[in-house]
Amino acid sequence: MSRHDKVDVRFENRYLNRHPNHIGMRAKNTISNTIIYVVLILMSVIWLIPFICILLQSFRVESTWQVGYVVPQQWGFDNYVALFQTDFKRWYLNTFIMALVTALFQTVIVLCMSYTLSRFRFKMRAALMRFMLILGMFPGMLTMIILYRVLKDLGLTQSNAVPGLILVYVASSGMGYYVSKGFFDTIPKSLDEAALVDGATRAQILWKIILPLAKPIVIYTILTAFMAPWGDFVFARYVSFGTSEGMNVAVGMFNWLNKDQIGSCYTMFCAGGVVVAIPVTILFMCLQKYYVEGVTGGAVKG
Amino acid sequence: MKKLLALLLAAVMVFALCACGGSSGSSAPAADSGDAAEAPAADESAAAPAAQSGGSELAGEYAITVWVAEAAVDLTTKQIADFNASNEYGIVFNATVEAVGEGEAATNMITDVEAGGDIYCFAQDQFARLVQAGALSKLGAQAAEFVTANNDAGSVTAATTGGEIFAYPLTADNGYFMYYDKSVIPEEDVDSLEALIADCEEAGMYFSMETDTSAWYMAGFFFGTGCVSEWITDDDGAFVSVNDTFDSPEGLIAVKGMQKLVTSPMYLSSSAGSNFASNAAIVVTGTWDYETVSEILGDNMGATDLPSFEVDGTEYHLGSYSGCKLLGVKPQTDATKAAALHRLAQYLTGEAAQMERFEALSWGPSNLTAQADEEVQANPGLAALIAQSPYSVPQGQIHGSWWDLAKVIATDVEAAQSEEDLQAALDSYRDKISALFEMSEEELNAWSVIGGIAGTSWDTDFPMTEVEPGVFQSDPLDLAAGDELKVRQGASWDVNYGVDGLDGSNLVVDADGTYIVQFDTNTETLSLIEG
Amino acid sequence: MKQYSDLEYLRLSKGRKFLYGLGRFFTAGIPRFFKGIGLAVGRFFKRLGVGIGTELSDLFLTFKNGDWKTRSSYLIMGFGSICRGQVLRGLLFLLFEAVFIVYMLTAGGYWLSMLPSLGKQGPMEVYNEVLDAYTTQYFDNSFKILLYGVLTVFFIIAFLYTWRLNIRQNRIAEDILRSGKRLKSGKDDLRSLVDDQFHKTLLALPLLGILVFTVLPIVFMILVAFTNYDGTHDGYNNNLFTWVGLQNFNTMLSWSGGNKVYAATFGEILVWTLIWAFFATFTNYFLGMFVAMMINKKGIRIKKVWRTILVMTIAIPQFISLLYVSKMFAKNGLINLFLMNMGWIQQALPFWEDPTWARVTVIIINIWIGIPYLMLIATGILMNIPQDLYESSRIDGANAWQQYTKITLPYMLFITGPYLLTSFTSNMNNFNVIYLLTSGGPTNSAASSVAGTAGYTDLLITWLFKITTGAEAQYYLASVVGIMVFVVVALISVIVYNALPSIKNEEDFQ
Repeated sequence: MSRHDKVDVRFENRYLNRHPNHIGMRAKNTISNTIIYVVLILMSVIWLIPFICILLQSFRVESTWQVGYVVPQQWGFDNYVALFQTDFKRWYLNTFIMALVTALFQTVIVLCMSYTLSRFRFKMRAALMRFMLILGMFPGMLTMIILYRVLKDLGLTQSNAVPGLILVYVASSGMGYYVSKGFFDTIPKSLDEAALVDGATRAQILWKIILPLAKPIVIYTILTAFMAPWGDFVFARYVSFGTSEGMNVAVGMFNWLNKDQIGSCYTMFCAGGVVVAIPVTILFMCLQKYYVEGVTGGAVKG
Repeated sequence: MKKLLALLLAAVMVFALCACGGSSGSSAPAADSGDAAEAPAADESAAAPAAQSGGSELAGEYAITVWVAEAAVDLTTKQIADFNASNEYGIVFNATVEAVGEGEAATNMITDVEAGGDIYCFAQDQFARLVQAGALSKLGAQAAEFVTANNDAGSVTAATTGGEIFAYPLTADNGYFMYYDKSVIPEEDVDSLEALIADCEEAGMYFSMETDTSAWYMAGFFFGTGCVSEWITDDDGAFVSVNDTFDSPEGLIAVKGMQKLVTSPMYLSSSAGSNFASNAAIVVTGTWDYETVSEILGDNMGATDLPSFEVDGTEYHLGSYSGCKLLGVKPQTDATKAAALHRLAQYLTGEAAQMERFEALSWGPSNLTAQADEEVQANPGLAALIAQSPYSVPQGQIHGSWWDLAKVIATDVEAAQSEEDLQAALDSYRDKISALFEMSEEELNAWSVIGGIAGTSWDTDFPMTEVEPGVFQSDPLDLAAGDELKVRQGASWDVNYGVDGLDGSNLVVDADGTYIVQFDTNTETLSLIEG
Repeated sequence: MKQYSDLEYLRLSKGRKFLYGLGRFFTAGIPRFFKGIGLAVGRFFKRLGVGIGTELSDLFLTFKNGDWKTRSSYLIMGFGSICRGQVLRGLLFLLFEAVFIVYMLTAGGYWLSMLPSLGKQGPMEVYNEVLDAYTTQYFDNSFKILLYGVLTVFFIIAFLYTWRLNIRQNRIAEDILRSGKRLKSGKDDLRSLVDDQFHKTLLALPLLGILVFTVLPIVFMILVAFTNYDGTHDGYNNNLFTWVGLQNFNTMLSWSGGNKVYAATFGEILVWTLIWAFFATFTNYFLGMFVAMMINKKGIRIKKVWRTILVMTIAIPQFISLLYVSKMFAKNGLINLFLMNMGWIQQALPFWEDPTWARVTVIIINIWIGIPYLMLIATGILMNIPQDLYESSRIDGANAWQQYTKITLPYMLFITGPYLLTSFTSNMNNFNVIYLLTSGGPTNSAASSVAGTAGYTDLLITWLFKITTGAEAQYYLASVVGIMVFVVVALISVIVYNALPSIKNEEDFQ
């Protein structure tokens, strides 16, 4: 940073010498910075409003339907108390287990897939990648019915929906190799070659050399895999219908905004939203750095 | 070395297949139809000796799943326990009671009948769909008698299709009326829609009725002017025709009335009782919102029948649907379990259970005795529903697409600038309704025989097949001397042939016998071939 | 269209150059593209023919020239390998053959034989007079027949491939032995799986998952488009379903008769899907880039805080944030009530009730969702742009706008070309935003007699979902729509892919 600054200062001086009206330039800079600050503050407000509203409404005791104000007239934990008297605990636990197990296996699979496709050159490689590209163009929604039936034949629906959903998430995760392949592509191949010359096996290269370098993408993959089950409600609902034992939070809470229930469950939904969002958000914020590296390193190239 | 991989892959696939095949393997050999068809017969003979002992053949423990609305879970659990304790057959149910909303229950049943609840509640508009999907078990003679004898006529109709009963009426309170805020609306205005709208606009508070997004409420305007929309279903639950008069002079009056409401600035298309908490003065909704509304309004709560609207000097009282919730039993493969489940269903929809439900949840009973109960009559919500009942129309069976086709009328009316626009809205509605029964190209071109033949009286088309280009023949038909018949195209009289050509006179059969009816379109000749 | 020479082209004005380019795209580019497809298909069949020919002659020659071990391997898989000491391989071959035969005899044969009819006997209602109760006897299950039929076909293909492999094995082994070398032992085989064949070990599990949970379902659903599988023909509980040929495509695509409304609805939804994808992609792209540039600007403080605030929308599950926002914009939602309480509006704004309002609102809310992603991506790329480019341009007197159009934008577009394409196609299939915000509404009256009741903001993907879960559950129609989605996405991808500069050579980046 400091080195760059120095260069800039030198550069600026030369520049200013040529233009004597440098005070005007600085003023212009201040104005534009002010405008940017205003825009950024405005944006921050817009971006945060819905979340602040959810938070405030989750503490509202009076009338449970939408009202024309944000700050509760009567504060209290009633909604949270009510929340934990429903099956919410169960849904929460289900989702947490799903997220954890999926994150573990999905990461292994995605890394295997992307590392192989980035590093190895074998006969069917191009064909395989093209084939998966084509597969990816089919809307996944379409396969919902058949996946349900297959899971049902394996006995993994309704109250057993949790392992069933994990199986489907993990099994199809190989398709999402693009981002991390893009990241592996940026790690110089000369490292592998040098190690090969030194007599390391391919497996050793992966463990000892590549993985430590790929820490951001590993964490990125874990993070995205962990977050996905919290939001899935379409397929999860299709698999777990009829029994609240197998539901995840999204499916369970989605029902609260049904026409018949929204009147009585609206603020409870907000409370549930807060309880779901807090751990996921904290985790995300802690690992944000890796997420950014993963996105910029991989997504763009993918 | 790729072989090794291929082998591994293949080996794992084998195991996957075996696993799948294992569970399905049982169903594959079972598909040996001869074997399975005998099974029920054997079942009967086994059950026969036990029959004398008065129903004790049903004794046993059954694990079942029951789907009811969230609010009714606890009560239903208790009622099943009561049934276990009190029934004379020795039936014990180990029931898992799950909260599945009434609308959701039907969707879930159609997705996968096998995974569905053994007993489940649903709103009556799902009934035909469920029969079609094979998700309802037909009632036996005794059960059917129980339903018809104990419930009001509207609810029985709701559970009937093609003359057969497939479900048990659970409530008969699925109708709507008007709640209002007494502190805003003067008592003398409640009978006039125009006065009510004026009151709301003056107070700056909402008149809230969900006409834009729910044809169920919207249709009230049409029923008020005497329009009908009746659907006919057969015993498979399939829709065969409709008698719909929304596109008529009366319909035009109805939309004019509707226009008054939906174009008001204080109109809110929502029928949630909780709207009273957010600036509503009137909400059109049903008994299910009674608790919510009385909690918000307290002593200011008013409940009464719907108002009248005035068009060209005539008053029309807003109509409404009256519907019910039904309880269905999933088709079973085991006759004993089926019979036991039907006993439970009767208990759950019997007078005592309906009264309990009324007391705990304020659900209005469909049971005649329960309806006559003093307490039921005194409930303000139900009283308003009863006041509205002279103007209400039993819901019957309604085509699943109708709701979405019809609700558009309200949106169109909202946007209408002139009477032509209103008429156009009705016309486009009618086109869409008739499109539901439109025939394919193939059906339109098909030829058929029709007449007073084989026990039919000009109401059944016997299909014909093309045997050579332009020559059509029917299957062999048993005809009697004196029978008359014609052939027609597309099951319509637009194109029909008799013995002397287009629109000709009927062909009369000379002597009894089995004949094939032949029509040659090239020569336009109709003839009988002895077969 | 007249084709200009290079010299003529250079003399054209900017606008005419553009028009010319556009014209060439349609008159030459697209035909070339289709010609390319035609050629590729031709090549494929030619190669296929040649391939089958060589395979057959190879099979024949191997048999003719092989020893008795090789020849018996034609019947007993792995026999040759075992005899030659490669016991592990041989046993695996043998095991596979055994399993295959057992499977085909016990279950596979049945499924395969039922595949052409998809079942013969539907369920039957039976009245039990004694108990006065109806029961239902279930027989064939069309769904399982189709599913396991397809699986069996997969299995047979796998078997044929393995059989062929087993024979080639024998030939190679004979060649090696003839030349006096040693055959690989089972130990060698296992070792190579973590070294030179390591990619196979790594790919085995992921590919198996994709095969069973992605490929198989897609094949199945494509086949469903040729059946009448729906809620009242569910293949088991009510009626069996069966093959109907191209009838469903005919229903969906015919432009005449009573089915016209399907094609019209499909067209309408497709157009909106494309409009949506265009706006959703490019508004996010440019605004996200813009925000990134603002935050990155020298002199702006607490950069991290701004980023963190925006990134909240990524962190919080969409079903919470979008559902909540959807209720905020409802007719009696927070925003309308607030505006009315403030006296700024008299009547609720029809955010979700009016088609145009709804469409604009979803695009705007999508900006709220999408900007943070783009901001993150753009930040990374912008930092990589060599600073001296800006410095030298500034010396040359370029203003900020010129710097943007001449340096930043071209650089961004070059790097993010492929990303733009994928984000366009994934926006076409952006189920969550539409479904959670509007569920496709408001209802489109013209399209409402069609399956699934399409609304004005429905994308093809949400329409597909509605058809699947709607009143009639017309799976066959959903399947047709799914195939059409595939066709549209594939077409767009191929056209854009060929036009993009930055994907020409994958290896360039390494």
